[in-house]
Amino acid sequence: MADRGDVLQGTLDMLVLKALQLEPMHGWGITERIEQWSESVLQLGQGTLYPALYRLERQGLIRSEWKVTENNRRARYYSLTREGRRHFSDELAHWQRMSRAVNLVLGATLQG
Amino acid sequence: MNRRFANAWQWMWSILRRRALEHGVDEELQFHLDQQTEKYVRAGMSRDEARRQAMLRFGGVVRVQEETRDQIRPALLDDSIRDVRFGARILWRAPGFTIAALATLAIGIGATAAIFSVIRTVLLEPLPYREPGRVVGIWETTQDGVTQNVIAPANFAEWRERSRTLEHLGMVGWTGLTAIVGGEPEKLRGLQCSVDVFPAFGVQPVIGRNFTFEEDYGGKDGVIILSYDYWQARMGGRPDVVGTALATDGGPRTIVGIMPPGFTVAGEKADFFIPFAQTVEQLRAYSGRAASFGVARLRDGVSFDQAFTEMRTIFSQLERDVPERNARRKVLLIPIQEQMVGDVRPALLALMGAVGLVLLVSCVNVASLLLARGAAREREFGMRTAFGARRVRLVRQLLTESLVLAAVGGLAGLFVAALCHRGLLTLVGDRIPVPRIEQLRLDLPIVVFTMAVALATGLLFGVVPALVTTKQPNETLRDAGRHGGSRRLHQVLRTLVVSEVAISLVLLAGAGLLLRSFIKLQSVDPGFRAGGVLTAEVDLPSTSYDTAHAEVAFHEALTRIAALPGVVSTAGASCQPVPYACIGTSFWRVDRAKPGNGELPSCQVRPVTAGYFKTMGIAQIAGRDFSEADTAGSTPVIIVSEELVRQQFPGENPLGRRLRVDFNHVSGRDDVEWTIVGVVGSVRSTLDGPVRQTVFAPRSQRPGTGMTLFVRTAQDPALLTRSVIDAVRRMESQAPVETRTLDTVVGNTIAQPRALSILVALFGVVGLALAAIGVYGVMSYSVRERTQEIGVRIALGASGQSVVRLIVGQALRLVVVGVALGLGAAMLLARSLVTLLYGVEPLDPWTFTGTALLLLTIATAAAYIPARRGIRMAPVDALRVN
Repeated sequence: MADRGDVLQGTLDMLVLKALQLEPMHGWGITERIEQWSESVLQLGQGTLYPALYRLERQGLIRSEWKVTENNRRARYYSLTREGRRHFSDELAHWQRMSRAVNLVLGATLQG
Repeated sequence: MNRRFANAWQWMWSILRRRALEHGVDEELQFHLDQQTEKYVRAGMSRDEARRQAMLRFGGVVRVQEETRDQIRPALLDDSIRDVRFGARILWRAPGFTIAALATLAIGIGATAAIFSVIRTVLLEPLPYREPGRVVGIWETTQDGVTQNVIAPANFAEWRERSRTLEHLGMVGWTGLTAIVGGEPEKLRGLQCSVDVFPAFGVQPVIGRNFTFEEDYGGKDGVIILSYDYWQARMGGRPDVVGTALATDGGPRTIVGIMPPGFTVAGEKADFFIPFAQTVEQLRAYSGRAASFGVARLRDGVSFDQAFTEMRTIFSQLERDVPERNARRKVLLIPIQEQMVGDVRPALLALMGAVGLVLLVSCVNVASLLLARGAAREREFGMRTAFGARRVRLVRQLLTESLVLAAVGGLAGLFVAALCHRGLLTLVGDRIPVPRIEQLRLDLPIVVFTMAVALATGLLFGVVPALVTTKQPNETLRDAGRHGGSRRLHQVLRTLVVSEVAISLVLLAGAGLLLRSFIKLQSVDPGFRAGGVLTAEVDLPSTSYDTAHAEVAFHEALTRIAALPGVVSTAGASCQPVPYACIGTSFWRVDRAKPGNGELPSCQVRPVTAGYFKTMGIAQIAGRDFSEADTAGSTPVIIVSEELVRQQFPGENPLGRRLRVDFNHVSGRDDVEWTIVGVVGSVRSTLDGPVRQTVFAPRSQRPGTGMTLFVRTAQDPALLTRSVIDAVRRMESQAPVETRTLDTVVGNTIAQPRALSILVALFGVVGLALAAIGVYGVMSYSVRERTQEIGVRIALGASGQSVVRLIVGQALRLVVVGVALGLGAAMLLARSLVTLLYGVEPLDPWTFTGTALLLLTIATAAAYIPARRGIRMAPVDALRVN
């Protein structure tokens, strides 16, 4: 499963929120966007994406609406709520602080 | 606390939104899958491969989703509710299928419930007696083996005295009287009951008292006990009528008691009960048999067999002591329940078997409908499985759909059952003596039974399609390119068609046997022409008429009726020509030695007026008819039937010969010699029984205060009803008159076989229709499946005819297998019908051949229609299907 690029527990939400930061997107678009940005390292199992989307929607961090795609198909588009944006920036700050700390620890261990 | 509240709110909200949400989820996932597939296709994969990869890539979202939900909520209940709602929605969306399935189920379940409730009421519910299992009926047999024949009162007196195993030995006899209530004469049916009869049943009057020993064996008559129904209907249920007098044609009788509601003496219909009022000495002096039977209760600790053995011992002593009465006869002890339902039980069981088969066919039918439809959803399920839904969940959902269907079918079945009840009661009417049928009802136990049958049915027809449809997702996906269902599904469908055909063949064969038997019965020549005759049973009050006066009055009435416009001829007799004789007795030739005891021939005696044979259409073969010259004082004369001549005077001229017949002359003497003055055609007193030797005596020499009038007319006899009653009433306003056409009188004697064959035939037709629908449905499905193949065949030059032959031939192979299996089963089961058949062998080749041909024809037609449609559709649409 490693080649699929399993997403760390807890980070999936953040990735989804990040993907939605620029524009509303449907589920498939989100997986594509994340795959693209991660240079195909992170391939979301859709089995995890949709439960996450529904959970985020229930938490009020994102909302969804049905729109028509450029190919004239109905698709559900997700977008960030105001609450979601604030949540994301909080989480992002938290993540950056944490990942910096983790990197420092790991770097120190390697040198030592 | 707050958090809990939020959760609850969330849960409710999600349930409310569930429908929209779930619908959206399906669409959303499909969209995702399509996008991914498109992407792979753009990358150069074949479409099939792209779809497969997309699914693999997709992973188990459904499972994840379900598992997430399962953690949050009580999953089982929630899922069940969801399944039911989903099932209901699926059914709602396919109204054609749903209506077909529901109708099928409602008929199967409803008919089963109706017949079962009859069986419960008639056979299963305990009789309203104290320890009903200990009550027995006592009968005798005749020399020629008729069981359950009436008993000799003198024998009864001996049993009563000698038996140590039975208590409360009582005698029951059929009787009638005319009551005058509110100035109107009314003919009542009732029973003579000795003082022990009610104690034998362990039942006491609800109001008042039983007869006393004095009133019965002391001969101090003049009392009457009324049935609850009669008391309610005619006396308004007033308790104060007890102790008052009821005016009857035999003088006033004091009402001493009212029996409890629903009480009958062994199912015999009765408005009233009166004592025999015969002393033991009078009973002992009675030489012949009376229209009566015995009842008794087994003493504590005595088994039925012990009592029967003792009665046999007593009877063989009586046979030795009084051979002229008892030679070559036997005593018969019979549990009272058996006596009451003996006649109807085989018919009811046959009906239960028939509805069971109908139910089975409807199960199979719905199963195949579900399957054929399931094929269309097979891909849906394959995909859901690929998405990670567990098979158990899918099976459960499909089963829930079946159960929803069955539950609704069961509710509809209740209505069908109610309709069936009404139909049954109409069919039974007063014509067929079915004990307790009037208590038939649709109560809670029957509703529970019906719903239980429905749910069992739902499981039965649901489980196979559910397992088949959700089987082997891999195969489904592999077949995804092809249109429609898997090979396994086709196998199961074929099996269902075969079994459906087999079951309905069994049903039809049974119906065929009963129908043929009934037609034979109906076409039996009774020896008289029943069409165009109105009958009127008239009773003159014996208080104001002696028999001589009565005879004059009847003559007057007949003359008046004969003058009515449209009347061809009139006559009178002491009783109807069917189903009983007026008198059954023994006789012998005067010019030969009297045969020994038990060797005496028996005959039926019918006292009739002049013109009886002409009016009834009985052929006069030799000699003369009775005439006005045959009077009470003239030479005693008789006319005998051809059958009697055949047996007693083979090769001789019977005219002028004399017979001694064991019945009273007008003088009251039974030692009179009767001279034969005529011979007429043989007549039957029952359509299904043998032709018996018959003696006709002139009414003038064997008179009575009751007479049945026969009026032959060229028009519809029912039209004469009013004027005939008026003519009688002008003679005697106090005389009750009961009119029926002779056709009705005869028809009523075969009402039970008629009702049975009508019902089973009805079920047979339903079974046949269901089987035809089944074959049709499966063949249309299979044709739809093969549209492409058909198109290709036709494109390659096959003629439409040959393709139709191919398809129909394929259907026929299944039908033939079904017919063969059905024939085998029918032959095994036909033996159980043997007691219900008349003049038809259980393995009647005509019935079986006819049934098989009928099924083959119908099934071919059912396969032909979709086959035709198939070739019309091909080839244009054929190539478009995929």
